[in-house]
Amino acid sequence: MSMLEVKNVSKTFMMEKTKILVLDNVNFSVGNDEFVCLVGPSGCGKSTMLRIIAGLEKADSGEVLFHGQPLTQPTPKISMVFQLFGLLPWKTALENVEVPLEVLGMEKEKRKHIAEEYLKMVGLEGFENTYPHDLSGGMKQRVGIARALALKPEVLLMDEPFSSLDELTAKTLRELVLDIWRNPALPTNTFIMVSHNVEEAVFMADRIIVMSPRPGKVTGEVKIDIPRPRTKHLRDPEYFRFVDEVVELLERDKTKTANESPLSLTAKRADKLK
Amino acid sequence: MTWLIVTFVNYPEIKALPFYTLSTISRIIITLLISVAWGVSFGILAATNKVASFVLTPFIDLLQSIPILGYFPMVIGFLFALGPWGIELSVIVLLFTSMAWAIFFGVLGAVRAIPTNVVESARSFGLTGWRYIRHVVLPAIAPAVVSGANLAWCDGWFFMIAAEYIQYQGNVMKPPSGGLGYLLAKTAYEYKDMNLAIILLIFITFIVVYFNTLTWHKLMERASTGTFKPVFRMDLSGVGKLGFAKATSWLRFERIHWPKAFSIVSQRLRRYTHIEKIIAVVLAFSAIFFILYVAFGQFPTFAMISEGFSQPPAEEISRLPLLIALTMGRLTVAYGISLVVAIGMGVLAAEHKKFAVVFYPLYDIGQGVPILALFPVIFLGLNQLIGIPRIALELTCITMLVLDMIWYMFLNIVSAVKNIPTEIKEVGQIFGFKGLKRITHLVIPSILPSIVTGSILSWGTGWNTIIFAEYMPSTGQVSQPLSVPGIGSLLDKAGYEYGNTVVLVFLLGIIALIVLSMEAFVWRRLLRKFEKYHVEV
Repeated sequence: MSMLEVKNVSKTFMMEKTKILVLDNVNFSVGNDEFVCLVGPSGCGKSTMLRIIAGLEKADSGEVLFHGQPLTQPTPKISMVFQLFGLLPWKTALENVEVPLEVLGMEKEKRKHIAEEYLKMVGLEGFENTYPHDLSGGMKQRVGIARALALKPEVLLMDEPFSSLDELTAKTLRELVLDIWRNPALPTNTFIMVSHNVEEAVFMADRIIVMSPRPGKVTGEVKIDIPRPRTKHLRDPEYFRFVDEVVELLERDKTKTANESPLSLTAKRADKLK
Repeated sequence: MTWLIVTFVNYPEIKALPFYTLSTISRIIITLLISVAWGVSFGILAATNKVASFVLTPFIDLLQSIPILGYFPMVIGFLFALGPWGIELSVIVLLFTSMAWAIFFGVLGAVRAIPTNVVESARSFGLTGWRYIRHVVLPAIAPAVVSGANLAWCDGWFFMIAAEYIQYQGNVMKPPSGGLGYLLAKTAYEYKDMNLAIILLIFITFIVVYFNTLTWHKLMERASTGTFKPVFRMDLSGVGKLGFAKATSWLRFERIHWPKAFSIVSQRLRRYTHIEKIIAVVLAFSAIFFILYVAFGQFPTFAMISEGFSQPPAEEISRLPLLIALTMGRLTVAYGISLVVAIGMGVLAAEHKKFAVVFYPLYDIGQGVPILALFPVIFLGLNQLIGIPRIALELTCITMLVLDMIWYMFLNIVSAVKNIPTEIKEVGQIFGFKGLKRITHLVIPSILPSIVTGSILSWGTGWNTIIFAEYMPSTGQVSQPLSVPGIGSLLDKAGYEYGNTVVLVFLLGIIALIVLSMEAFVWRRLLRKFEKYHVEV
């Protein structure tokens, strides 16, 4: 049985008195130890899907099963890393990691010890008493990751965790996240990441779920079986074949919905020239 | 109904009510137009011209930190020589001193906030001079002007009661065309008829709230479309259909009021260079000398100043530290109460719809009621309850301060709670913050910068009110003026009872010094400390 199952989930938002179907009957499942990426253009509802799994939003219909039980509210077993880090600016790096543990009712000494341990793991030893304001973007996201992991969740959700970082920092952090995922000593080994960066997804995921917008739904799945660590295979034709496959799924959908972005216009013009 | 009629027929002045209403409204509108013209032109000048900015901004900042009600007797002195028109003119000048600042600082902030890319693109297309102002500056400041004017409008109504009922050497100067403020003050102070005073208060509040929810609402809607910040489109289903709570919430809490209040404070808390400070102080001294010159009809000499310090109530200056401590104590108590109540109300109103429905209209009415007019009402009520005038006056003073100070806090807190970024709220949900933990770990820290902003504004208005609130003038049945000891009442004595301009100016200077040093040593530091709390989005 899969660890997490998304069953017939639909969701509409009200925008200026018109209903917008954000998620239309979405189905997929995530197995134990799996690294899954939700990929799609902006507005396809992938972030909303992640928030429903996290318990931040409620689906209009359908359900999310976690170990076979329906999920209705946030649980410490499912934790999240945010796009804009979501750190509390009035707390130091250490306190930011400590706070969720405090909410769980852990005593001071113990939670401090755990927070220090996790900050060390993400490479922030020596920055425990620094405020987010004085940390770089990459360091902030390291704190965000440490905070999410310190709860020892079973599932880690990541909402475009690298998209507000520069490419070099993002590259280092991707490898850090993969190291954490592979680390057998940590209880967290099921990862769900939302991304709009196809190459990032192919580099990291076991399986990519491709979504399309208006209405948001799953248009395809691609299983990535490049051996790990994948850093060595970044120049392989196999890697590019997977990237092309995902891009093709995204593009196919784009022509179908006649999305008139400048890019698709040039593509059409190129077609005519042929 | 009979109560209404019985209350009304006793007074001949009541027949003049429509005329008085008209004259007050037109007076405020005239002052508003002057304030807008002055605020826009000087604001643009100070924001675009280096020299003007050097001279104007710190000076106006200094002027503004002097409690407006303290200007009164000084302005009155030389304008009364001009006859009935002089009285009309002095009312408008007094109103102007309470209305102009918000517009000036709003415009200054808005011009400075025009994004560099817009300025550069306008320059590259050759827009200069008047055309630059017409196509770039004026549209950019429109929202600030409208919301600043709205604030000025409210302030105008607030001070109208004091401005239309001027006491000069024991006499009341009636403006030739009368006015609602005059009528209300007369009812309350001379007739001591609380029924009529309350009816008039309700009437005035109704006018203010009516204009706020209808006229200003439409104006703000129109002005907000041209801003650089994304402004949400409003559902134009017709203002008439809007509920009162919805209209007030739209006007005050969901829209432009917030950045404006903030930008005024941040403009004011700008750090000045030494040269700017020197220029401001020199200008302030020349202004003081000018006023003394006008008051005495000749240039003030050292002898004249020392004479001023030898006449009553100068002997009380030796007790000045005590008086300052008493006044500060009152302000601190009132501030503490306002802070706690406003945080409670603000957080509840921002997070729960059912509280918002009650608190928003309460805010709008509370802002609209001319609190100064409540003074005799509260005092007489409390005096009957307690029986000891001194204690009743003390309590009245603090009550009025609270009623005055609380709304700036409330406005800032509601806007801040509403502006907590979604991601921070989601973090709270994911990691299970609930109840009190959520409030202490998440809500309170994220609104701290706004609490400081609100505090600055409410202390400012508190200093204005205390000058009025420590002193109950002697008119009608009360033969002796009643006062509680404090720097505010001392200032009133110097102004109203003894006409001692030298002591008055000296006390004003002391107050300005206290206000400025509180800004420098308390608020500016707190604001800098909490700057880090700002969530980058």
